[in-house]
Amino acid sequence: MTTASERGRRLALLGGTPTFSDPVPLGQLGFPSWERFEAAIRGICERGWYTNHGPLAVEAERRLADELGVAEVVCVSNATVGLMMACRALGLAGSAVVSTFTPPAAAEALLWSGVTPRLCDVEAGGVHADPETVRAAIDDDVCAIVAVNLWGGFADLDGLTALAAERRVPLVLDSAHAFGSAYRGAARGALEVFSFHESHIVNTGEGGCVATDDPELAARLRNIRSSYGAGRPVPVPITSNGRFSEAQAALALLALDDLESARRRNREQFDRYAAALAGVDGLRLVEPARARESNHQSAVVEVDDATFGLSAPQLVRVLRAEGVEAAAPIRRPLHRTTLFRDAAAGPLPRAERAAASLVQLPLGAALSAATAEEIAELIVAAGRSAATLAAAL
Amino acid sequence: MNPHTSMTDSPALPRPGAARKRAVGDLALLGGDHAFDPPVSTSNLSRPDPERLLGYARRFHDARRYTADGPLGALLEARLREFHECEHVVSFSCGFWALALAIRCLALPGRTEVVMPSLTYRRMADAVAWTGLIPRFCEVDARTLGMTRETAAVALTPQTALILGAQPIVNCCDMSGLEALAAETGLPLLIDSVESTYESYEGRRIGNFGRAELFSMHASKLLNGMEGGYVTTNDSELDARLRRLRAVGADAGGDIAELGINARLSEIHAAFALANLDALGDCIAHNEAIYRTYQRTLCDLPGLRLLAFDESERCGFKNIVVELEEAWPLTRELTIAHLNAEGVLARAYYHPPLHARTTAYEQRGLELPVSDALGGRFLLLPCGANTTADDVCDVVALLHFLSDNAPALRDAARP
Repeated sequence: MTTASERGRRLALLGGTPTFSDPVPLGQLGFPSWERFEAAIRGICERGWYTNHGPLAVEAERRLADELGVAEVVCVSNATVGLMMACRALGLAGSAVVSTFTPPAAAEALLWSGVTPRLCDVEAGGVHADPETVRAAIDDDVCAIVAVNLWGGFADLDGLTALAAERRVPLVLDSAHAFGSAYRGAARGALEVFSFHESHIVNTGEGGCVATDDPELAARLRNIRSSYGAGRPVPVPITSNGRFSEAQAALALLALDDLESARRRNREQFDRYAAALAGVDGLRLVEPARARESNHQSAVVEVDDATFGLSAPQLVRVLRAEGVEAAAPIRRPLHRTTLFRDAAAGPLPRAERAAASLVQLPLGAALSAATAEEIAELIVAAGRSAATLAAAL
Repeated sequence: MNPHTSMTDSPALPRPGAARKRAVGDLALLGGDHAFDPPVSTSNLSRPDPERLLGYARRFHDARRYTADGPLGALLEARLREFHECEHVVSFSCGFWALALAIRCLALPGRTEVVMPSLTYRRMADAVAWTGLIPRFCEVDARTLGMTRETAAVALTPQTALILGAQPIVNCCDMSGLEALAAETGLPLLIDSVESTYESYEGRRIGNFGRAELFSMHASKLLNGMEGGYVTTNDSELDARLRRLRAVGADAGGDIAELGINARLSEIHAAFALANLDALGDCIAHNEAIYRTYQRTLCDLPGLRLLAFDESERCGFKNIVVELEEAWPLTRELTIAHLNAEGVLARAYYHPPLHARTTAYEQRGLELPVSDALGGRFLLLPCGANTTADDVCDVVALLHFLSDNAPALRDAARP
């Protein structure tokens, strides 16, 4: 097929026609075939059991536990609520360290639970917190370390597990991005929270789950979630509503059926990006970190503006003009928001650099591998016309 | 016991005969067969028309939008604005977090207490505690079971940050009184109107009282969205703030100025709610038929008083509540034990009252003699989409049988 650059078409920002008349969206946006979805919805209507830990929710928890290889899975209405429930189930009180370069869910869950977030920087050459950056942010009040695993990859969980053991605090894993990925080491944290938001590989609209090998912790989580499906009653500091409806459960089960093909699709698109962008000076596709196996659910490129000729925000504007909904994957490190501006002990320069230099590209069910390649070609073309584009911007 | 156990739509299923208990030994609690299989519950559990539901689902499917700000969330909010005749509706993943966020938005800064009834939804105090505020309980009126201006006023302190009203299960609380109290004291008023979704009060549609009102779309409620909730308000700033907070609190520029959460409504839940909203008229008609049957059949059963809907207002007729009066010959506990054993999932009305529970967080206002006395007297009876008028007759026949055989049942319950 002919690509934009081969056609020699002018980029949209320079007066050309946008490559995609229907914008190519970000996010996995996977959904089962309509026929299977319809059958599942009709089944729910026939049973008349809509929520409160119904038969599909029970089955979803069992299959998720099998898939994850853990003893217990507690499905929740979304990952943020799952993290909030986790903080309460662990009885956290004090401060907890979390990377500033993360979506706000974990840090907000800490605040909702009365825990003070201490924001740390990311590792050299990566996007995750590591033992060194966490250690720099730890104070005497520390009650937990939260590792947020980004884009199908992982933080140094073995190193963080050792640090958590040294400080005698639990390691909590925010693996919102990591369902279907496997860490290369043995560490698995006290518990691990996954997201089934539409942007991730398992899409239940909103949704998520908490996985743990600790039956006591699981019992507390079930009691905090709601009284239905609570199992045996155990004392908890507070309850909430974190229920997972039968529709969410139906979508989770169908997504599990499709998991292997979704991973394959993602891998193919990721590889197309990698091949097409290899050798472009000043651009690097971020490989999922420390993954034995990755869901490859995100394509994120690092832009070195001095070499590439365009900054990350400029590249975003070029792509958006073409109908590609590229965006900074994390718009601001948390310490640059009003709410968390006092949560860092000092400057966190690597996170700021990462926020300014990364661009997330579409990858998922809404596009084909050929489209991924076409987007990559647009980026190549943008690099070639960088000087003109920069002047136009 | 799970109120959602095995709800099929086959009312013609043969029954071991609820009304045909001949001897005390036929009662399930005493070894007999249970009368209702499947059980009948107090949950609404409206069944959406699958074609209509799938028609709505097509829209989000084709738009590839699966969560808030998709086509159905916006449509549902618009339809609910019309329904409540109010200016703004913000949808949420459930009523619980909608409540917590509304409390955070409305509570006066620097103050610590939320005044709320004790005889209410069992997680209400937990929602207050999640916000870091302290529940201070107040009484309800013994006649209406609702909070009034007077019961709220005596609970106010210099630390009161918010008046959190809550509707009783039948009819509405003293909303004009609470609004007057709020106006006089300058305190914000937020009302949990979950149980009064369809109602009007002094001719005004529910959804227009206080600074905001809160609703649930849990499957057990009048409008079944499986899970879900929403807030109504006529305050555009509050509307914008709640929209921001349900999506982690981030503004258009990516800044987070105040603590948010993820409380977005999934499009599939919006589809369920829309399909059920389309059929709400049928649902109300069914609920009214159930209520009329209870009215007709309970009137000659001494000791059980059916709480009457105020039919001078719009009524949803959803909940069936009876008071166990002096003349009722069994304790509420034993009555419920027998009913539950028969597959009649009757429930105690808001039991235990919140002030009587031990919690890990602080609660204030724990001396509530009226709520203590009321807390033991009321019972919710089966209703909703899966309960038929014939079921109601059978339930009432069973209550007659329990009443007629009370001495023997009391003996059998002795250890």
